[in-house]
Amino acid sequence: MASAHTELPSVASRTASAPTHAANAARVVGSGSAADFTSAPGVPNQQTSLSSFPLYSRPTSTSDMSQPPRPPRSPLPPAALPSDTDRTSNPSSKGKTTSTGTAVSSQHSSLSTGPPRRYDAPTRRPRKLRSQYPRGATENHVEYILVASFDVDRGPVMEHQYPVAITGDEHMLAELMLPDQAHVRNQDWTIFFLHKDTSQEEDDEERRAKDERRRRRRRKRDREKGIIHESDDEDDEAGDLDDDDDDDDWDDDTSTDSEPEGGAGPPLIYVLNLVNTKQDKTVKRGAVVKAMAICTRHPFLHIYKPLLLLALEEYFKSPVPETLSMLFTAVNDMDLSLMPKLSLLERHLLQASDNKDLFVEKFEQMIQMRIAEDRGENVTDQPFDASRSPPKRPGIFRSGTKAHIEGQSTYAVPRDTHEFESRVMYKGIPIPIKVPVAVMPETVGDFSLIKLIQNFSDTHSKTPQTFPLHPHLTTNGPNTHPIIVLVNALLTQKRVIFLGYNLPSGEVADAVLAACALASGGVLRGFTRHAFPYTDLTKIDDLLNVPGFIAGVTNPTFEHHPEWWDLLCDLPSGKMKISSKIDQAPITEGLVYFQQQNPSHASLVNSSTNDLTGDVAFVADIQRGIANRAGERVIRAKWRDWVVKFTRIAAAFEESVYGASALYIGSDEHDTTAAGVGGGHGYVWCDESSKAKELAGNVTRIEGWRNTRSYYSFIQDVAQLYTVRPLKGLDLHHMHDRLRTQRLSPMQSRELYSTFAKYVHSYDEICLLLSVAPESHAGLFYVALGLFHKDRDVRVKTADLLERIAEHDAGQHWWKALSRFEKLAYVRIRREAELELRAKLETGNAGAAGGGINNNTHSGGSSSGHNNHRDAFSNNSLGHPSDPRDKRVS
Amino acid sequence: MGGTLSISSLFGKLFGSKEVRILMLGLDAAGKTTILYKLKLNQTMTTIPTVGFNVETFTYKNIKFNMWDVGGQDKIRPLWRHYYSGTQGLVFVVDSSDHARIEEARTEMHRIINDREMRDCLLLVFANKQDIDGAMKPLEITEKLQLSKLKDKLWFVQPSIATDGDGLLEGFSWVSEHIKKMPKYGAK
Repeated sequence: MASAHTELPSVASRTASAPTHAANAARVVGSGSAADFTSAPGVPNQQTSLSSFPLYSRPTSTSDMSQPPRPPRSPLPPAALPSDTDRTSNPSSKGKTTSTGTAVSSQHSSLSTGPPRRYDAPTRRPRKLRSQYPRGATENHVEYILVASFDVDRGPVMEHQYPVAITGDEHMLAELMLPDQAHVRNQDWTIFFLHKDTSQEEDDEERRAKDERRRRRRRKRDREKGIIHESDDEDDEAGDLDDDDDDDDWDDDTSTDSEPEGGAGPPLIYVLNLVNTKQDKTVKRGAVVKAMAICTRHPFLHIYKPLLLLALEEYFKSPVPETLSMLFTAVNDMDLSLMPKLSLLERHLLQASDNKDLFVEKFEQMIQMRIAEDRGENVTDQPFDASRSPPKRPGIFRSGTKAHIEGQSTYAVPRDTHEFESRVMYKGIPIPIKVPVAVMPETVGDFSLIKLIQNFSDTHSKTPQTFPLHPHLTTNGPNTHPIIVLVNALLTQKRVIFLGYNLPSGEVADAVLAACALASGGVLRGFTRHAFPYTDLTKIDDLLNVPGFIAGVTNPTFEHHPEWWDLLCDLPSGKMKISSKIDQAPITEGLVYFQQQNPSHASLVNSSTNDLTGDVAFVADIQRGIANRAGERVIRAKWRDWVVKFTRIAAAFEESVYGASALYIGSDEHDTTAAGVGGGHGYVWCDESSKAKELAGNVTRIEGWRNTRSYYSFIQDVAQLYTVRPLKGLDLHHMHDRLRTQRLSPMQSRELYSTFAKYVHSYDEICLLLSVAPESHAGLFYVALGLFHKDRDVRVKTADLLERIAEHDAGQHWWKALSRFEKLAYVRIRREAELELRAKLETGNAGAAGGGINNNTHSGGSSSGHNNHRDAFSNNSLGHPSDPRDKRVS
Repeated sequence: MGGTLSISSLFGKLFGSKEVRILMLGLDAAGKTTILYKLKLNQTMTTIPTVGFNVETFTYKNIKFNMWDVGGQDKIRPLWRHYYSGTQGLVFVVDSSDHARIEEARTEMHRIINDREMRDCLLLVFANKQDIDGAMKPLEITEKLQLSKLKDKLWFVQPSIATDGDGLLEGFSWVSEHIKKMPKYGAK
């Protein structure tokens, strides 16, 4: 199977004299990543029947991630779920079971094993709060610093590399660091990526180290349980010194609890490069051109911009390796250890929300843990548990507030939880740094989707462009909006070039990175790995070996070579060009089947008459949003929705045309007995005809997508996420969409509300529900409509559910945004239930009272305590669910 | 002859002149960028080494020239070939005072014009830097570059001093005169 070592002809192979450094062999992206997919065994061709979808072996450096080939299609029917009281929210049992490596057991562990549910903390963080970048971690923020210059006689040359030389073609790196036309501007930024080859030895080394850590940890655990190992004595020391490793180990075990990160290979190294041209009469030919680059694994590489500016200036003055080492030390001393690590769902929520307080509790806890650590208390030993949260300590304030400044406190929670504030001391100057807390896959740098969209929309709205037809690209006919043409090109893996003649190369790089995020939506992967944010003619031969590249160039020569690209996006003019030499889309089986199955809609395929895809309306909505000054985050969330919708439509298409789809894993048994669990799955249409029309509009690009990297990695991700996601048998998105879009009978809606109330309990389950009901889409409005259901039981259960949500770290903000009307209904239902309970108690029928009500009263109490403690450092009203102070009415 | 010319310039005025793509190459520090900006702006610019390329358009004798100037350091010379396709005229610039590298210049020039994609293009050689003492004269340049070896090729050697603009227009009037006869230009 495809492994991390499916290595491609690297640049190094062309220069036989290149020194080799086994541990640090790095290649420039584009040095021939062609083999990535063309040669990946196990990539099925279109003819493969869907039932036998092969799984990309997930290339891992840790071989112990023995993922099962694919989770069963219908694993654990929710109908078979144990009753509420059996369900566990105990995080440690989950973690441990997962570490055994079998998906089956982990599925069961989250549902049926472990101690009985502790109802008093159902919505609490289920797992240990960890730092994204723990103190004492071995991994550096920045791995290399490079300096290159343009030698008047020799062209680009590398001057220094620190701490060690990146092997591979040094000359090629130098070329990338000196972008075309650097001589016409004083300063230019570029971004490019390096693929790091992890050698076999290094892998083994890493694995051994991890195994060792795991072994020690197990032993330690055993010892606590009273099991003594013979060899314990000599290991004692090591075991005790191991607290940091312990953290790391936790990561190993729970790495499955977030998304599969790297995907098709080892993580990329991102390079941020600054080039300066200084006129200097005293030197030969009148100018000095030098470039300095920072190589990091952080996708938020833009934070280093101010530092590069200072350091390159410094290097002009003293062009010695010490200048590099000073920068290296400064950036790696940056402390991000108080930035909490968020799960994938939490990151989604944070990304989609404009709320500056979301998850502020986590920052506060990180600080509390640190304060405790500073006092020498041992808290690293076990997962931090909110129920044992230490008493409120003084000294934590909101950053920038009066109290914070006057209080001289060491620690502060950020003003906006989307950004973690830190600083780098460079030559005695503190340089403030803001690091994004939630970074979605395929998001690199600080590009702007809005800028990209406007660049091509504005021209199009003035003089609409007419495209030659291509089934994959022009899904709305010749007048398809250019942004849709672009996203279609990316989805169907066309070769895309952004050309910015006379623009700084940093601008074309931003366009490339924005395009990757556009097509990915944080959902699909495989774009950044094949992106070349800035490249030039020197790399053309390698570039052409990469199928479906996304490249940024400033040299207009590229336009003269239509055989090099499929879609050329010219940034200065805002026009796109479909190449005259683009490959025609083949007629695929899926297309033929679809037309046979839906003869009445067959003629609609690729017709431009109506907006079958809804893209015209979508782009109009985006443009309205931009015109109304909606922020970048809102626009990204809208695109994310578009991508999610596309994948769900593709799943529905595959199910209807091929009879099965690997794009969704759930339970088809339930579909047949849907009435039993209020289930069903997939995208929701209001009727069959609108479904057929929408599929007809999408069929060509879905078929074009079905053979691409992003398609196969999505299938892989779906399978992987399935093993860790809560509520496996239920498609909450589907259920919520039904509430949102369909006319339901009281019986049907009763099913849906009851299912929500029955299954959504734990912290993660509530996160999942919140993610399908984002604040931008009316939030909990549709869920809360259950408070008005004609069935009293539904009303009470919905109230219970809302109460759980209101106590949830993130849910409280959704609760606050709920309309006053619905909140009043909630209060009324609660009061009725309480009165009834009291009445029952008075009549001595206490035993008959529902356990749920008892428990909830209890949990209400604990949550108000939680609130008090939070109020101390935040002046915001973080009201109790029934707090009438909240005047917001939507 | 005069009659046909005036008609063609009239057509040029009516329909906009046709764009001619010119590629200017030569060893590093031969004076390419100085020539480009002297033609474009009629100004003598202090140039610095070209990282990558420059491209400018200027109109001369009703012909719109789209002229590419590509950096000449030996390591980046292999990139020249990417600029060939669609090129109608090659301007090869020689530093006439650089006796040491005239052989190198010859090799590079012959490599360019022997490329299939450059088969049909005109060749203008600027024997540049004539103001420097000891500069080779056009005849000597012609000899050293072994231009007489070229068969089926229109070529012309023009002495020039790019910093003063001497010889540049003369060179381009040769180009404009002959470019009209090229099949690519649409002439009979």
